[in-house]
Amino acid sequence: MASPELLVERDSADTRLDMRVEEGHGELPNGAPCAGHGAAGEDGGKRSHRKCIRKPRDYIKISVPDGRSSQLPLEWWKTGIAFVYAVFNLVLTTVMITVVHERVPDKEENPPLPDKFFDYIDRVKWAFSVTEINGMVLVGIWFVQWLFLRYKAIVGRRYFFLMGTLYLYRCITMYITTLPVPGMHMTCAPKLYGDSQAKVHRILQLISGGGLSITGSHLMCGDFLYSGHTVMLTLTYLFIKEYSPRSFWWYHLMCWLLSAVGVVCILVAHEHYSVDVVVAYFITSRLFWWYHTMANVQTLRGCPNNYLTNTWWNPVFNFFERNVQTQVPCVFCWPITWPPACFKNSCKKYSMVQSIREE
Amino acid sequence: MKSVASWSAEEVSRWLAEEGMPEYSESGVRLSGRELLQLTEADFQGPPLMLVSSDSGRRLLEKVETLKIEHHIEAHKNGHANGHAVAMGDGHDRGAGGEAKRNGAINGFHKEREMVRISIPEPKRSSFPMEWGKTGLSFLYAVCCFVSTTVIISIVHERVPPKEESPPLPDKFFDIFNRVEWAFSICEINGMLLVGLWLLQWTLLKYRSIVGRRFFFIVGTLYLYRCVTMYVTTLPVPGMHFKCSPKLFGDWEAQMRRVMKMIAGGGLSITGSHTMCGDYLYSGHTVMLTLTYLFIKEYSPKRFWWYHCICWTLSAVGIFCILLAHDHYTVDVVVAYYITTRLFWWYHTLANQQVLKETSQNNPFSRVWWYRLFQYFEENVQGVVPRNYQLPFSLQAVAWSRVRYSRIDSE
Repeated sequence: MASPELLVERDSADTRLDMRVEEGHGELPNGAPCAGHGAAGEDGGKRSHRKCIRKPRDYIKISVPDGRSSQLPLEWWKTGIAFVYAVFNLVLTTVMITVVHERVPDKEENPPLPDKFFDYIDRVKWAFSVTEINGMVLVGIWFVQWLFLRYKAIVGRRYFFLMGTLYLYRCITMYITTLPVPGMHMTCAPKLYGDSQAKVHRILQLISGGGLSITGSHLMCGDFLYSGHTVMLTLTYLFIKEYSPRSFWWYHLMCWLLSAVGVVCILVAHEHYSVDVVVAYFITSRLFWWYHTMANVQTLRGCPNNYLTNTWWNPVFNFFERNVQTQVPCVFCWPITWPPACFKNSCKKYSMVQSIREE
Repeated sequence: MKSVASWSAEEVSRWLAEEGMPEYSESGVRLSGRELLQLTEADFQGPPLMLVSSDSGRRLLEKVETLKIEHHIEAHKNGHANGHAVAMGDGHDRGAGGEAKRNGAINGFHKEREMVRISIPEPKRSSFPMEWGKTGLSFLYAVCCFVSTTVIISIVHERVPPKEESPPLPDKFFDIFNRVEWAFSICEINGMLLVGLWLLQWTLLKYRSIVGRRFFFIVGTLYLYRCVTMYVTTLPVPGMHFKCSPKLFGDWEAQMRRVMKMIAGGGLSITGSHTMCGDYLYSGHTVMLTLTYLFIKEYSPKRFWWYHCICWTLSAVGIFCILLAHDHYTVDVVVAYYITTRLFWWYHTLANQQVLKETSQNNPFSRVWWYRLFQYFEENVQGVVPRNYQLPFSLQAVAWSRVRYSRIDSE
């Protein structure tokens, strides 16, 4: 003869068993009293805690697992680290541009290199402003989209990490070999031989202007291989496309147009060599796809034949994505309210123990 | 159990409900046992059955067949049970559908004598089929890419600015290390050694067609990328020591001869075939050194660490010597290394994981331009190619004693 509470608990245990089975975990249901709990363990550290109620009655607290949210923990502090990494790399790039500027050969000494695109298309003066405006619009759109994402922390982390790494690679390629200016129209600021203070001033000016020519902050030359503008345009478009609903094809098309026109205008303005743009596109797209394949395809994790882990940034990737166990779903919610108010998930809170008997 | 032919409409209806097809029994269509046995697909083309059935009666027909078999076994239990059991629990390895079963069973039905057809399962297809045709195609692709690279070098040579006009670009490595004259020969000797070692290793592999296919494909693609980067922007010569052969403005015949000479010499300076300038971004020598090392390491036993060490040293010294000889800019070498390693790892990860061989939204790798080609090459390769070795012309391949078994021993 089962008392009503036990019946209730058993039902909950069954439901929990069902939920466990759906999620594909092979853990045993814990309907047992105090002694049996804790067996299935705190794997991942994200399972709910099993507390044992010391009430002498037949109440057993059965913890309901959080479901999906435990597979996609937010972990804002990791996003913070990724942000710091990106900022560090941006600053490093700026410093590197200043250093490289001193080594750029004069236009008279080293004329612009022959470039196939420049042979066919003559320079158009206002094209670079188009590029920069497109870039700013795309970044703005991406920022708005990011605000509305539910899993902002995870996506933001990825964005900062990829951007930081791409700029880090850029530092290296800019530094080791210095290409001459792509066109005679470029006016480079005068060289400051050894004047550190002025250099620092220049660095700050470049950072505050966001590295854009349109703000008048970018007067330095030498940062040609590879193109940072292409990186931003391509990366932002890839992120916009990846984290928005598939049915918004018009939105994707618009962003693609913005991005493509921006990239073509860089070349039309003769501001970068074609090889800078090609290499930048290649590295950005490959890195993006590489990272997302590693993150989304769960079977690759811990697989011995996974050569994707041979990159130098694999430990950093593991650190960021260790607790993300599934593909980030495309879920949106209002930015200012907390997740329980998301309109995709109606999170009703259930009380853990339903007491039927009032005693 | 009485035979199906003598079932009444109610019994048929009950059977239908038991088999999970209540739509027939509840539709009001009355079928006797005999009518049930005589149902064909044509009956489902018109009313009333067409209105009731959602799959043109396919499921119902299958169940009727199963019913027939069960009753046949019941009826002929003593004499033919074994034969039928074998025919039914069939040897076909196909898991899907009852068609194979049905065929086996029906064949068993048709022979009235004591002969039973036993289907021998097809030999299991190898998970690593040789498919030399695909390897040939891949080889052709690589050759095309090599030839187009040579043609592009010849074209680009015409556009290289003269060293007086465009002096070598500032390069960090060149600032630190001065030029050593004989270093480039070391690089090329190392390259030839590595390629020789790889060729030897390749002939000893068991699955040489698969591995060869991969090598040709990756090499071809790398040289194709190289064509693109060389062509779009022309870098000046990295050092004043360069002696570039004179330009042949528009003289096609001489250009063709130059292209042939370069191909014949393998693109190496040591053979005297490479006197053209302009092919700097990115470095082909680095590609070959890196790629052969990666392949050697991948397809040799893990315990040969000393062998891997030697090859790594050859490769690293070769690359260092390229820079020491001031024959390429540092950025050429760095970009070449990056692209080679990424492509190699990317391809092999794709090839080793079955889940990545399908185009899907979850597979970002499938968006790369050569994905369809990759699928064509690797679709029949199941799993990781094992590192098995085999002499190329082995005596075991000659079948000197082969016994042929006929399918049925007829007395």
